[in-house]
Amino acid sequence: MTKTLGPTKLPRHGAFAYAGAVGLCALITIAAWPLSHWLDNVNIVMIFLLNIVAVALLFGRRAAVVAAFLSVALFDFFFVPPKFSFSVSDGQYLVTFAVMLVVALTIGHLTTAVAQRADDAQQRADEQAGLYQLAQELAGALSLEQTVSAIHAFFRQQLNAGSTILLPNESGELAICEHGATRAGQHSALSNTERSAARAVYETGTLVDARELGADDGERLLLPLVGATRHRGVLIVAASDRTPRSLFANTSMLRAVASLLTTAVERLHYVDVANKTELEIQSERLRSSILAALSHDIRTPLTALFGLADTLVVDAQIETAPIKEIAVAIRDQSLQLNSMVTNLLDMARIQAGRITLRREWQPIDEVIGASIRFAAAACRQRRVVVEVPTELPLVNIDAVLIERVLCNLLENASKYSAAGSEIRLIADATASEFVVSVRNEGSGFPADRIERIFLLFERGAQDGHVSGMGVGLAICRAVIEAHGGRISASNPTEGGACVTFTLPRGTPPSVDLEADAASASVRP
Amino acid sequence: MNTPATTLLVVEDDVQIRRFVRLSLEREGFRVREAETYASGLVDAGTSKPDVVILDLGLPDGDGTDFVRELRGWSQVPVLILSARTMETDKIDVLDAGADDYLTKPFSVGELLARVRALLRRVSRLPDSESAVAHFGDVTVDMTRRLVLRNGTPVHLTAIEYRLLVALIANANKVVTQRQLLRDVWGPTHVESSHYLRIYVSHLRQKLEVDPTLPQHLLTEIGVGYRFTM
Repeated sequence: MTKTLGPTKLPRHGAFAYAGAVGLCALITIAAWPLSHWLDNVNIVMIFLLNIVAVALLFGRRAAVVAAFLSVALFDFFFVPPKFSFSVSDGQYLVTFAVMLVVALTIGHLTTAVAQRADDAQQRADEQAGLYQLAQELAGALSLEQTVSAIHAFFRQQLNAGSTILLPNESGELAICEHGATRAGQHSALSNTERSAARAVYETGTLVDARELGADDGERLLLPLVGATRHRGVLIVAASDRTPRSLFANTSMLRAVASLLTTAVERLHYVDVANKTELEIQSERLRSSILAALSHDIRTPLTALFGLADTLVVDAQIETAPIKEIAVAIRDQSLQLNSMVTNLLDMARIQAGRITLRREWQPIDEVIGASIRFAAAACRQRRVVVEVPTELPLVNIDAVLIERVLCNLLENASKYSAAGSEIRLIADATASEFVVSVRNEGSGFPADRIERIFLLFERGAQDGHVSGMGVGLAICRAVIEAHGGRISASNPTEGGACVTFTLPRGTPPSVDLEADAASASVRP
Repeated sequence: MNTPATTLLVVEDDVQIRRFVRLSLEREGFRVREAETYASGLVDAGTSKPDVVILDLGLPDGDGTDFVRELRGWSQVPVLILSARTMETDKIDVLDAGADDYLTKPFSVGELLARVRALLRRVSRLPDSESAVAHFGDVTVDMTRRLVLRNGTPVHLTAIEYRLLVALIANANKVVTQRQLLRDVWGPTHVESSHYLRIYVSHLRQKLEVDPTLPQHLLTEIGVGYRFTM
């Protein structure tokens, strides 16, 4: 691991530095004392100045200043005659003192500045190496756990600082992220003010100093993790007493770390999203294949049952009335069972996810005609009357699904009305929508349940003599609402029950029929 | 009307469905052959030379569309598909591959017989289709004189309406997909403009059907195409 402090490991502030400065000055004085017999005082001054360089290098600027003054004093006291006195016999020495002091201060200052710069460069190089390594680790991280522990290790080693990562959990609340999981119960590690500060940082995306918020236990910075599309979380860095420099001196580095972390979190998020999508596609595929298999497996015996019963019904050799009647009953019951199965499977399909509409522009009477033909068996013994104006515009619908709606409504209208009565299917268009209603001459919907009739497994008549499960109208509502329309039930004053649905008109594609009409037409 | 030689091949994996299909067809005097699988069905279609093939779309050992495509490589025998509802795209695929008609499960004996007879009628009609006069309901279409009469009164059709009517008559008594009709009438570049087709069909209904909303001849097969019965 890279070294965390500069080449000089001695503390540059405090009592130790001053003591060191004083000690070195004393040492030099003692060492120079025997030399004073051989050396000129000028050279003694040189030795003191050399000492200033050493003090500056070892103990920093303030110690060098102290040493500068102390050196002048010691030189005066021990070497300038009269010795062992601060008084000066030769006035020239005053100039020496002044020059010595200025030179000492200047040397001290320059030396410490150079040392400081070397120090800074070293530290920056270390930080850079640390950042490179962090970037490498984060790029290779396969889990949130690895990402988090890489960040923790980085701050521990680079700054002797603690770090906390807050990421939003599924409900969007910030939670401490540790060992790969965002645990909501971990808030205890954060004070209330800190938590709300983190929330604010997360929401605004701006850096905050925790001291501004009244936190007095050391320096803390809250950095937002600003992603490309949204804010991803908050990084909190807490300085300890062994943190070499103010965190504020390092904000650009901290921001770099935060953005590395954001990239890593974002990358993991998208990997997660991709995995989930893949999973969703697979489960969707599974679901639809199960539905298809179920649909096939139920319908095969139903088809056989219906067909075999119908074989008996149309068999000319069977003339005994009870057997014929039974065969008809079996056939009709299996047909009803089939429509229930169809409805249930449709509902399962609808509830399994969104309905995919295959919309096309078409005349609505085409769907109406086909539906009536399809529901003909169910509407036996009822007169179906259609009221559709001839010149209705095209409507943009999924014809298969709207046909299901109309068939369900026709079957219902038939089920809840007497044989020989009339079923009316009325379609028209207002300025903005199509209005289609199906009404019968039955007893109408029970007034107390008319609002609930479109809910799943809700039936109009609870008195059991009419079979059904209450799925049909729920399907109708799902289909109509998927088309952007509304469906409602009412009991018209003239009697019977009425279900009305609307479909938006939209803007039909322009149809250029003129070209054809103008072309040579077939001779009448 | 059925000669003893009329042979039908039923390719269906469910024994009970096969049973009632065979019962109802045999009672009408058809000879019925059965095949349980995709492979044996294809073999039998080659060896027994059936007049109509009735094919289940849900065979466990193969895809019905491939079956029809392969069959069409060497035979023009009419193919009636048995399929579940909610399989509209499968139906369109198999019809475009060359199948002639389909029945949605569950189906009645009456529907089955009607479809089989319609397909046989198509085959018997083909050699003398040059007669070029078609009748349906109270309408007569004389294709040599390009004349459409309803109750003896001439009906004015535009050029496209007439082309569409002729295409429908050529595909009478079977299902024809939207894509096929668009290609036949408007050409291969217009197979996506299905709303044109729908508008012209509705014009034809208004001019030729007694009740355009409840047509008797020009029927809509929702999600698939049209069926013209005559």
